Amino acid sequence: MLRKKVFFWVSVFMIFVMMTCAVFAAAPTFKIGVVTGTVSQNEDEYRGAEAAIRKYPGLIKHVTYPDNFMQEQETTIAQITGLAADRSVKAIVVNQAIPGTVAAIRKVKETRPDIIFIAGEPHEDPPMLERYADAALISNNRARGKSIVQLAKKMGAKKFLHYSFPRHMSYQQLAERRDIMRQECAKLGLEFIFVTAPDPMGEGGIPAAQQFILEDVPRQVAKHGKDIALFSTNCAMQEPLIAAALKTGAIVPEQCCPSPTHGYPGALGLEITQDMKGNFPKIAQEISKEIAKKGAAGRFATWPVATGYLNTTAGVELAKLAVEKKIKLSDIKAVQQTVEKNTGHKMQFERLSNKGNYYMYLVDSIVF
Amino acid sequence: MKRGGVEVRSFGYFLQLRTGVFSRSMVPAFFAVLCIIGVVVAKLDLNYLINEIFTRLGRNTFLVLSLLIPVVAGLGLNFGIVIGAMAGQIALVIVTHYRIEGLTGLAVAMLIALPLAVLFGWLTGLVLNKAKGREMVTGMILGFFANGLYQLIFLVLVGTVIPMNNPTLLLPSGIGIRNTVDLIGVANALDRALDGIWDGLIMFDLGPIPVGPWRIPLGTWLVTGLLCGGISFLMKTRLGQQMRAVGEDGHIASVAGIPVNRIRITAIVYSTVLAAWGQLIFLQNIGTLNTYNSHEQIGMFSIAALLVGGASTRKAGIGNAILGVFLFHTLFVVSPLAGQAVFGIPQIGEYFRVFLAYGVIAVALVLHAWQNRLPAKG
Repeated sequence: MLRKKVFFWVSVFMIFVMMTCAVFAAAPTFKIGVVTGTVSQNEDEYRGAEAAIRKYPGLIKHVTYPDNFMQEQETTIAQITGLAADRSVKAIVVNQAIPGTVAAIRKVKETRPDIIFIAGEPHEDPPMLERYADAALISNNRARGKSIVQLAKKMGAKKFLHYSFPRHMSYQQLAERRDIMRQECAKLGLEFIFVTAPDPMGEGGIPAAQQFILEDVPRQVAKHGKDIALFSTNCAMQEPLIAAALKTGAIVPEQCCPSPTHGYPGALGLEITQDMKGNFPKIAQEISKEIAKKGAAGRFATWPVATGYLNTTAGVELAKLAVEKKIKLSDIKAVQQTVEKNTGHKMQFERLSNKGNYYMYLVDSIVF
Repeated sequence: MKRGGVEVRSFGYFLQLRTGVFSRSMVPAFFAVLCIIGVVVAKLDLNYLINEIFTRLGRNTFLVLSLLIPVVAGLGLNFGIVIGAMAGQIALVIVTHYRIEGLTGLAVAMLIALPLAVLFGWLTGLVLNKAKGREMVTGMILGFFANGLYQLIFLVLVGTVIPMNNPTLLLPSGIGIRNTVDLIGVANALDRALDGIWDGLIMFDLGPIPVGPWRIPLGTWLVTGLLCGGISFLMKTRLGQQMRAVGEDGHIASVAGIPVNRIRITAIVYSTVLAAWGQLIFLQNIGTLNTYNSHEQIGMFSIAALLVGGASTRKAGIGNAILGVFLFHTLFVVSPLAGQAVFGIPQIGEYFRVFLAYGVIAVALVLHAWQNRLPAKG
């Protein structure tokens, strides 16, 4: 009886609210929806969205996907479909395109087939995603399988340690990259070691995964010597990995998502001041100084651009041009030029297959 | 309580006096107020909200209903529904592998999931009988354990021990299932099952106010309705009465000659089977299977929804389930946007949502603990 009463009052209120605050989105031009993680997941992609908002005031509608995205897929879908509910939104950039993105794209395209989707760093199966997203941007993981090992060797590594866990190894590209790394190691005479770390999305969460890295790196270095290159497939593990490598003298040739801001500032205790924000050459310079101070020069490397940042900013750029019909997203040359202009670095672009616009890129590394 | 001659009432007692019989609806009422505030603050497009809630009522209610039977049988909230969900997913992978599509595909998946879920439920029941009084935490840990087994099977055994040759499902190495499986074959199969009669689309203009587009997942609503009827019927049968008796007091029930352990296992088996089917309904609506994580999403959120609907670990009804899904998911849709609208920073929306969603689950639990104490004190 009482529940019925509550039900009744809720309905009455809902109708009342509906009558009073019908929302009219009367925007003269179009908008671009941007979905990124919060700064606790991967700061770069979020800062990229902020930069895009500064560059194009009024154009961007920015929302975030859940921190706990593996468990809260429904929220991800709701956030994306929520953007599409705004009639003025003509394109949506999802970076990172976490699980649920394909489902959301499908739901949106049911009623809004006109919306253009750009996916940054897709997590879902590439052959599936490329059928639905209008374009995807991701670092070329297959090519990195070779380039990271080659760089590690150049930096003096004799062994190569790969940290990951079953969930990541079910990602096609990550599994493939691991296999390529193993082959490349065999070719270059490096010993390949695979270590399973706790999944940060598992019961122990991120703290358990980070603690494991902090404890395991000294163990591995004691066992295999200092000339071991460390690599982990997970974002949350980069900071402890770099910190532990600094302490033990090991080598870190590249992070999972190459970027000067990924893991380095935290591990080095480097403060990103106002004038450094978004200025990647300056940040790289500061990191270089800090590492040299700690006597570890030549043992650490990364890309000069932040992939998370560039996926958002270049994604917005591509989306804007595509909505204005100034670019064909299937034109790899034009896309490459746009992204290169956005980052200020030469890049190598590759397409996954002819079934879609799944673009994979590579940038030359800098050694600190 | 007398202190210095002045009678001091506990806060709980005060609350009881003030709210009287209304206290049973305290949790849902609290949530309803939060939802309404959220809707007003977020200036939400109500057509979007209503459509989203229609979808989620279809997507989630069946799963939440699967929790009811163990509550009646005194097993508390069955965190073990995660295991049932795994059975559903195994069936879906098989159906996708053999390319059985549409409503037939879904029906076959339900049939395949049935024996698996019965087996899993039976095993869960056996374990829970050994852990009387701690069923909830045991069920939760069992879920983690089963997750490990599930990963082992799908990542390592498929392609090695279990022969399978399907490049669209397997990783390029030929071992292990991909992390996402496209369920395009069964996507919306049940939601749109009644399209022949009416496709469930509501869209018209009420004077200047546009209404819709809302899409009612008619088939799913119908099946969920049937389940509600089924559960009510079950509770009236002899088995239902026995479950109730076991739930009230296991000792008295066993003295009365009711096979307590068997009844408890039966309750868990029912719940696990319903969870497997519920997961199938959930996934046919989402349209993609997140092979290694889809099941993890359901336990906690189904339970939270039921609690929000005013149920407790000892008492839960169909009304609680439906009201709970309605309120919990409204809050989930509204809170990130409300947070963003209030603070003006997108990521605060996410933090606000997490704070609110998990905070209120905690509040719901605390309020229940309170209510449980009230009769004892009063």
